[in-house]
Amino acid sequence: MKIRYLLLHAYGMGGTIRTVFTQAGALAAAGHDVRVVSVLRRADRPYFPLDSRVRLFALADLRHDHDAEPDAPRGPLRRLADRRAARPPRFVPHGEGGYAALTRGIERQVIDYLGELRDGVLVTTRPSLNLLAARFATRGVLRVAQEHMNLAVHQPDVRAAIARWYGRFDAIAVLTQRDRGDYLRIAPGTRVELIPNAVHSLKQKPSTCASRIAVAAGRLRPQKGFDLLIPAFSRLVDEFPDWQLRIYGTGDRGNQLRKLIDEHHLYNQVFLMGRSDQLDEELAKASMYVLSSRAEGLPMVMIEAMTHALPVVSFDCPTGPSDVITDGKEGLLVPPEDVDGLAAAMRTLMADEGLRAQMGDAALATVQAYSPEAIRDRWTALFESLASSRTG
Amino acid sequence: MRGHAELARVWPRDGRLRLVGRLHDHAPEPATADGWTLRVARRGAVGEPALRYPAPLDGAAFDSSLPVADLVPADTFEPPALWDVWLAPPGATGAGLRVGRLLDDIRNKKTVMVFPGQRVTRGELTLLVRPYYTIKDNLSVEVRPGR
Repeated sequence: MKIRYLLLHAYGMGGTIRTVFTQAGALAAAGHDVRVVSVLRRADRPYFPLDSRVRLFALADLRHDHDAEPDAPRGPLRRLADRRAARPPRFVPHGEGGYAALTRGIERQVIDYLGELRDGVLVTTRPSLNLLAARFATRGVLRVAQEHMNLAVHQPDVRAAIARWYGRFDAIAVLTQRDRGDYLRIAPGTRVELIPNAVHSLKQKPSTCASRIAVAAGRLRPQKGFDLLIPAFSRLVDEFPDWQLRIYGTGDRGNQLRKLIDEHHLYNQVFLMGRSDQLDEELAKASMYVLSSRAEGLPMVMIEAMTHALPVVSFDCPTGPSDVITDGKEGLLVPPEDVDGLAAAMRTLMADEGLRAQMGDAALATVQAYSPEAIRDRWTALFESLASSRTG
Repeated sequence: MRGHAELARVWPRDGRLRLVGRLHDHAPEPATADGWTLRVARRGAVGEPALRYPAPLDGAAFDSSLPVADLVPADTFEPPALWDVWLAPPGATGAGLRVGRLLDDIRNKKTVMVFPGQRVTRGELTLLVRPYYTIKDNLSVEVRPGR
């Protein structure tokens, strides 16, 4: 089967890119003809590894040495065309996070590409691209819209466009139960399929759960709630002076979090670790994973942590954590944004190495369902079912 | 002198810098335990005597502190003033054991294990005294103009 994934920037380093690469690789390994199409290209090589059987190409190459024909003659008509191409996109809502990365010229290249497609499957991976596919990939290609966050996080203009256009999709793929319900309501009559993202590997070094290290990871942004996690941890330091909290990630709230650490005199126990090239190694050294987010899609780093047999303490965000873990089994779920509750749940695990190991084992058992092969089989079943319902 | 002084805790608060840890790879003479000192030497200040503070050992463990105001040089200086920290037995002729944190798994401590500065006013001037790990994971203290 011919399967194409359309990404905004396949050469960047977001979670969507990584999980799409994992999906694409697993499908290519099963013998499918898989292509990843990047709307933009700003780097020579993709940041994440991509299976060599997957073809990768870009529609708009924005690398500096690939500027379009710098020596070409620039008459008035050409300048007018350039100005038009540089205007904001026409069909992508302003509230879409990728709006600023697009121009009308790039949007036109995407539309032209979509118009050429005649067969196979097209999977688009964010609202801007989904909306363009719904409107312009109209000639025989099976269209699947992927939602990597959830419907509730989108701006009103994006939700309005989704309500208007997503009914055209052959299927909408979502990551969480709650989001499935939301999409069934906003696109009535369209097939909405729950398919979580796969972890990149299940062959990971397990944690012994004996160390005194709690780990968290994510962008240093309000969404991740590290400003709630640090005060929660500060309630435990007198009781557990040997424990450390290591927070991996970068972001524009680093200085504010550092101030919070200083105010609580946590500089001996809480560390902003920055970006790690070896997060797998770091997870294996830890003894529990903490997710303090205010909102999540499907929290992949949490699931990756579970592949290291780490127990989880997590806020029960509206979507995400409860799709993966059951309170008391692989870890502990705490009411959203409840700092005292988060501290109490961490205390329970910090005080009990046996419980950590037991919940860590349960976590490892649960994530077997998120292997690249298991998730690939769910995608294959969806594509085959869509293809047969079209021909039949 | 063999070994180093491994830090477990650094407390820059309440006008003092308190350092807690254990000697590593160095067996101190039990009879000298009470005479050990924290030795703080200004980098590049040739001939200037190092500052010394009592740092009695409990076995191999140390727990010593100093007032950070002492680290603001009395003379005019080109900021930052940098101080290196050592732990020395009584009557030592050399520098002593360097104070640092070498035994854990955290790399890049200079940017990861970061401590807040404390303000010291000297006349019209406000200075910030801040301990930090060097690129070799040893502890030093910088003094630079603050707000």
